[in-house]
Amino acid sequence: MKKKDFFCELKEALEFEDVTFTEKTEFRKIDGYDSLHVMMIIAFVDSKFGKRLTAKQLFSITDVRSLMDLIGIENFEE
Amino acid sequence: MSYNPFSLVNKRILITGASSGIGKATAIACSNVGANIILVGRDLKRLTGAYNELSAGNHSYISTDLAEYDNFENIDSECVVKYGKFDGFIHSAGVEISAALQFIEPEQYERLFSINLISGFELARVLTKRKYFNSSGGSLIFISSIRGVTGKEASIAYSCSKGAIISGVRSMALELAGKKIRVNTVSPSIIETEMTRQLFEQIPEQTKSNMLADHPLGFGRPDDVANACIYLLSDASRWITGTNLIIDGGFSAR
Repeated sequence: MKKKDFFCELKEALEFEDVTFTEKTEFRKIDGYDSLHVMMIIAFVDSKFGKRLTAKQLFSITDVRSLMDLIGIENFEE
Repeated sequence: MSYNPFSLVNKRILITGASSGIGKATAIACSNVGANIILVGRDLKRLTGAYNELSAGNHSYISTDLAEYDNFENIDSECVVKYGKFDGFIHSAGVEISAALQFIEPEQYERLFSINLISGFELARVLTKRKYFNSSGGSLIFISSIRGVTGKEASIAYSCSKGAIISGVRSMALELAGKKIRVNTVSPSIIETEMTRQLFEQIPEQTKSNMLADHPLGFGRPDDVANACIYLLSDASRWITGTNLIIDGGFSAR
C-alpha cells in the first residue's frame, strides 16, 4: 500500500478530521485519542493487512511509523 | 417565543419504517415540532403517502430495502450532500414472526435479526461517522418491544431479536458518548396499528379481551410511542443514554 493512501485510510478509520497523518504523527498527542481508538486500529489493520495485532502490542507504539513497523514496513511503498 | 426543551426545530432526523404504523406516526409527530424528516421505507406509494402527511418542513424520502446494507453509505452521503448532517435517527422498521419453537425455521431468525437489528445497527454505524453526523451530538432511538423484556409463547425468534437491540444499545451508548451521541431504546407493548388490527381479526375475541385486560391503561396508540421519541430526540433528555423506555400501559407493572 502507498504510504499516502495508508495515512488517508487511517485518518478516515479513526475519524480525526483535523489531523494530517504522517509517519511522525504521535497517537497519544492527538486530542481525543483513547482506548476505543486502539480497538479501531486493531480492526483497521486486520481488515487492510490481515494481521491481528494485540492491544499490548499497540500500547507500545508511539507514532504512525512505529505502527507501520508493527504491520511490516515491507507492506508500504512511497 | 419561550424556550421549549422538546423542540426539534432544524433537527434532521432519519426514520426507518416510516411508511406505516409507529414509524409513520413518529415522523409526523417529529415534523409537528419542527424536525426535518428523511423517511425510509420499502413501499414507495405508502412512503409518499406518509411524506404528504408531514407538517411543513424540508423533508424527503428514500425507498430502499433495508436488508441491502451495502446501500447505506451511498444513502447517507447523498442525504448529507443534499440536506446537511444528521441530528437524529429512529430505527422503527421491523418484522414480526409468530411461531412455536418446534416450527421456527433458521431463516426466520435470520430475517428477524436482519431487519429488526442488523439493518438499524448498520445504519447507525454509517450515520454516526463524523462526516455525516452533527459534531454537536444528537440522539439515536431503536424501537424494540416489550417482548424484548418479557416472554410470550410462540414469540421466541421475535423476542430475541428485540432483546438483542436493548443489550446492543447499552454498549453503543457507551461507545458513542464521546461523540455526544445518545442512544436509547423504546419498548412498546401492544399499539393499535394497521398490523395489530389485522392480527386481532385472526384471533378469538376472548384472546383479545385477555390481552386488553393485561394492559391497565388499555392498548397504546402510535402517538404514545411518537411522543416518547420526541422526548428522547430533544434536548430535554440530554442526560439520558443507554436506557430502555418501556411504554406499555402498565403491562409489565404486574
